[in-house]
Amino acid sequence: MNEATEGLRTTSVGSLPKPDYLLHARAQRARNEISQEELDELSRRATQEWIRFQEEIGVDIVVDGEMYRGDMVAYFAENLEGMGISGLVRSYGNRYYKKPIANGDIRRPGPITVDWWRFAQSLTDKPVKGMLTGPYTIADWSFDDHYGSRRDLVMALAEVVRQEAQDLEQAGAQYLQIDEPAVSTRLDELDLVIESMAVVTSGLRAHTITHMCYGRFEEVYPRLLDIPVDQIDLEMANSGLELLEKFSAHPFTKAIGFGVVDVHTHKIESVDEVKKNIRRALEYLRPEQVFIDPDCGLKTRTVDEAKAKLRTIQQARDEVRSELVRA
Amino acid sequence: MIATSVSHYPKVGNGPGRQRLRQAIAQLDKGAIDRAALDRVADEVTAEAIQEQERAGLDLVTDGQIRWQDPVTYIAGKLDGFELHGLLRWFETNTYYRQPVAKGPITWKEPILVRDFLFAREHASSPVKAVLTGPYTIGTLSETRHHQSRRDFVLELAGALNQELKALADEGPAWIQVDEPAIARNPSVRYPRDFELFGEAMHRLTQGVNQQSRLSLYVYHGDVADYPQVAELPFALIGLDLVQGAANWDLVGGWPDSKAIGLGAVDARNVRLEDPEEVAQRIAGVTAREIHLSPSCGLEFLPRETAFQKLELVARAAHGVEART
Repeated sequence: MNEATEGLRTTSVGSLPKPDYLLHARAQRARNEISQEELDELSRRATQEWIRFQEEIGVDIVVDGEMYRGDMVAYFAENLEGMGISGLVRSYGNRYYKKPIANGDIRRPGPITVDWWRFAQSLTDKPVKGMLTGPYTIADWSFDDHYGSRRDLVMALAEVVRQEAQDLEQAGAQYLQIDEPAVSTRLDELDLVIESMAVVTSGLRAHTITHMCYGRFEEVYPRLLDIPVDQIDLEMANSGLELLEKFSAHPFTKAIGFGVVDVHTHKIESVDEVKKNIRRALEYLRPEQVFIDPDCGLKTRTVDEAKAKLRTIQQARDEVRSELVRA
Repeated sequence: MIATSVSHYPKVGNGPGRQRLRQAIAQLDKGAIDRAALDRVADEVTAEAIQEQERAGLDLVTDGQIRWQDPVTYIAGKLDGFELHGLLRWFETNTYYRQPVAKGPITWKEPILVRDFLFAREHASSPVKAVLTGPYTIGTLSETRHHQSRRDFVLELAGALNQELKALADEGPAWIQVDEPAIARNPSVRYPRDFELFGEAMHRLTQGVNQQSRLSLYVYHGDVADYPQVAELPFALIGLDLVQGAANWDLVGGWPDSKAIGLGAVDARNVRLEDPEEVAQRIAGVTAREIHLSPSCGLEFLPRETAFQKLELVARAAHGVEART
């Protein structure tokens, strides 16, 4: 592979904002004013719009944007046997969510995301990433009224996530991302994350990725590299400097998803800022090792903000790439 | 044995009328109602939270912190010198707080919790404890752009909150409780736990406070098994988290007779309901002269209906033990 021209592939972490018509329809569906079929039709329309947008700007590995999902944990809980949804719990301010609950032996009655993945892949020749929430995160963000031990719950979930990952691979997914954002605050349980991820990814040939939100990963480096995936995706736009410096002593041996724009601010970064972040990655990593993306899912931004951030990433990547060719 | 809650209680529940506060806040945001109307709803829901704790069988209640957005900013936001910035995760939970940033010296300007305490006392038939988040935790979870060192920052906060404690003590609550989760061992705490600074801050915080109210210290979201000196701090009672901080059982075994103990023995973070008989058995061997039994921490991590059941369980376990002895 020509490192200068083939490296620095662009992608997204997973979620993208839902357009207003879809948010409206989801609220209507919750009140039973429209049917599931009507909602699905609009989810497909939004998926199509996002795929087309990513193709237009030249994203290398596209996502479906999770137009049909609500919460990343509740979505899976709703589709698993042995899991339910509890009453309202507050997260901050006036925001509440219905926290999932494990209340029986967990089983997967059938594929959960495979039809949606097939639909998204049918719209494009670019590879569409399969997107799953990891067993550790589903467990950590749920109540447990059944298993009685964190490890037992996580490992039961690992088995059903493994089944889903294998079905996605069978359907043709070349990239499979298993998100574990809960890890960042519980680095003391990294061993459990490694153990459960091994169940999920064993036997897969697809390129496997895990995404984690900001944490003090420098403290568990290079043990972090023992998570059995091909790529680790990290928030690097506003942090991560201490982790990067560790790469000098212990090279980062996997591919990295290198977050270059902040997803928590309305402000659109300049192309120069993003280029600077990409060059920072290249001080420690080879271009073909690096996948460029936003820090995290973009679903909390507006559609326009998300599009502007993705365009900026793409332009910055293209400019850095041509600089590499010239160098 | 006293059955009590730790700090917060869920603000909304399932069922008709149980989401009034959430709706009122949304209406305020839209400009459909004014601040005074929201405050009236918050008062009503506070009275309900108190009644629910009493109905569950508690002997000592809190106001449920119904008006609090999070455990940090309700206090820090009313001190001089702080600005409130972005959202950060509250320990390793799925809840958030707005991070205070010190831009100047931290000073106390007026009572923060006195009005809330008086309201709660008026609406309770059982004794009410006043609860505030302590200076070490606020200092650890905030940032300073003004102080020379973390030590200066925390001690200045302790001095400011000392005035709050005095203002509360003047109203004579049965108990004033200081919450200091940041001194417990928790995987998410950024700073090394500084026991020396903590001890100093607790002395400064409690100095000269009217002794008519009894002072308690609650640490949760982890254990302090490596900090047995916690029992010597200037509080009448120390409350320990025995669920997330199960290692605290080691401390309970050697607890000094002179000091009352709070046993957070019912899991406030998970919906699974313990068997009250089992809880009673587990704590039956504790020899401390005075015991408060409670959930392991505040109850807002649970749906309101489960929170109520947890409190019933606490009361049943506490009073069951009493009946046997």
